[in-house]
Amino acid sequence: MRATFPHLLHLDVALGILYPTLGIEIVPPPPLTRKTIEIGVKLAPQNACFPLKVTLGNFVESIEKGADTLFMAGGVGPCRFGYYGQIQRLILEDLGYKVQFILLDHPRYGIRSFVQALRTMTGGKISPARIVRATALAWKVLRFTETIEAKRRALRCLVERKDALDRVVEGTLTRLRWVESVTALEEIIRSTEEALRALPLVREEGEVLKVGIVGEVYVAQEKRINFDVERLLGDLGVYVHNSVSTVEYILHTLPFTRSREKEETWRLARPYLQRFVGGEGIDSVGSAIRYAQWGFDGVVHLYPFTCMPEIVAKGILTQVSKDYDLPILHLAIDEHAGEAGLITRVEAFVDVLERRKKTRRKSEVGRAWTYS
Amino acid sequence: MVGIPRGLLFYRFYWLWKTFLEELGVEVRVSPPTNKAIIRRGLTYGVEEICFPVKVFLGHVMAIQDEVDFLFLPRMVSFHRREYTCPKILGLPDLVRNLFGISSERIITGEVNMRDTGIWGWRQGFLEMGRRFTRQEGKIMRALKRAEEAHKRYREKLKTGILPEHLIDRREEVVPKEKKVLLLGHTYLISDSYINMNIVQKIHTLGYGVVTQDMVDEQRVRKYLSLLQKPSFWTISNEIMGTALLYLKERDPRLKGYIHLVSFECGPDSLVGEVIERWIKRESETLPYLRLEIDEHTGEAGLLTRLEAFVDMMEWRDAHLESNLSSSLAP
Ligand code: SF4
Ligand code: SF4
Repeated sequence: MRATFPHLLHLDVALGILYPTLGIEIVPPPPLTRKTIEIGVKLAPQNACFPLKVTLGNFVESIEKGADTLFMAGGVGPCRFGYYGQIQRLILEDLGYKVQFILLDHPRYGIRSFVQALRTMTGGKISPARIVRATALAWKVLRFTETIEAKRRALRCLVERKDALDRVVEGTLTRLRWVESVTALEEIIRSTEEALRALPLVREEGEVLKVGIVGEVYVAQEKRINFDVERLLGDLGVYVHNSVSTVEYILHTLPFTRSREKEETWRLARPYLQRFVGGEGIDSVGSAIRYAQWGFDGVVHLYPFTCMPEIVAKGILTQVSKDYDLPILHLAIDEHAGEAGLITRVEAFVDVLERRKKTRRKSEVGRAWTYS
Repeated sequence: MVGIPRGLLFYRFYWLWKTFLEELGVEVRVSPPTNKAIIRRGLTYGVEEICFPVKVFLGHVMAIQDEVDFLFLPRMVSFHRREYTCPKILGLPDLVRNLFGISSERIITGEVNMRDTGIWGWRQGFLEMGRRFTRQEGKIMRALKRAEEAHKRYREKLKTGILPEHLIDRREEVVPKEKKVLLLGHTYLISDSYINMNIVQKIHTLGYGVVTQDMVDEQRVRKYLSLLQKPSFWTISNEIMGTALLYLKERDPRLKGYIHLVSFECGPDSLVGEVIERWIKRESETLPYLRLEIDEHTGEAGLLTRLEAFVDMMEWRDAHLESNLSSSLAP
């Protein structure tokens, strides 16, 4: 068995650690490029959502590199995601690829298929203790990849040398691929933090614009398909926070692992959207409100074109934006989205935020003056 | 007075909802059949990028909201165990509330959700809505029972080959034809003859009757659905796929082709269409399949041309295959 899996930002780093320790030989998916997208777009149903197309491209590229077993998360609706695997399987079978699809369905609804998938994965030879240890390490690594990306998007507008920041982050990501123990991981975490602290800052957090990102779990994170909006914003001098996280996404699949923050997000959304509508629809609404409460200057909403939950969220965010006086930029991403157009829109958005901030400052100064 | 917008699941549950409300002593008004103004409003005030059927629905909400005291917008999360309706329908009451600034008091809603709890979740939803009109739970349950009976009768009538809009508006029915096409798609596309440009009538004029998934026995549909490794989790999509599979496996010589009405921005349709098309290929089905996108850009002339071409194809195939058969049978 030579297993592979689709990309989702740095998920490959974590799974690259997990699978080999479980005795599974892997074919890491080749880097996500224009080519990957082209392959996926050509094979997938025309109106399918973009993540289905891109992950299909990942699979084809991995199969051509020798993979014969595909891991894919399943689902039970209401959104399309849970049906990706089925559609991709049909397509790959019709192409004549002889591959095995292992669908990791939501354990709550298919505990048997879940356990079976794990069994097939490990061939039943690995001791449970070892599985637990390997999973724990991979999990910690995944978390840290998110932490370090969070640092990067927050620091980008503050540091003197952006290239130095990138060097630290990329260096760490490479080192993470070779981690074998928690001790080694802790060492990497420590040295990375040190390196980041050593970067000279030229601005302070208080003086820059702040933008929060909300949206669909894949497109809002995968910078290789969202034209790296975070980087673009950072280069325009904006402090960026992203509410979307794979770690949270996984935790949320089980009721007892849900984070308090996530529960809070849903609670915030309730006056506008009373229930879960699949995907991250309700999270997008709740997180936007949270950014408003944190005093952020604006929100960027990233989602795949025709994404169902996010379109519901979009309709509702119009009202949130009015109520909280919070500018929101909606960016729909698919194979037709052009980079130039996107850059123009983001720049125009930042301009608006800039101007709003200035007038607000002026009026504050004016008020203070009258009072004195 | 309570208003029901004529769109989306209206075509499925009209009799249920109407009877339920009337049994509770409520006066019901339904928005008029779709017209140009309704579509225009839906397009202008809806959400850009949302599917056409939801836009039409929002147009209906606008058309009726000023004439009624309340809007009836049940949240139909699921009407089948382990299944869902589409995310947009899940969020529909919230969408209406936020887009049009309608206060929650004016919206009669309740979560009807059979997914995990079956009939219990169904009843809870109607109890919640019924409580807006009466405190007597017994009365609500009685109203629901009547409503369910009416719904059953309605669904049974559909099985005889009548389309929802003919029943709802007592419109003239089309006379059955010998040759048929299987017309698949969400009922709100098939049964709103304004937005689908009278497609059933057009097919009829070209010499064919239609069979839709609503006309087929649900149990048989479910049986054939289980041929799939994993069915979808959308009830209507499952019914569409199950019906397609049924006719793929159990040939009906009168059936000459498949027409699938879809919306461009529809999530479920985008995947379901693919499954059906691939199954047709795999079963080396020779009956032609036509996918038609119905939305604000669909032109009547274009639609007719495509239908005519499709009919030609069905006829050619029929003649071709028949002569083939007879020649191969010849000694
Ligand atoms: S959340 Fe959006 S992108 Fe993801 S499966 Fe659903 S519709 Fe597709
Ligand atoms: S099922 Fe399709 S057409 Fe119906 S509301 Fe959902 S997205 Fe729209």
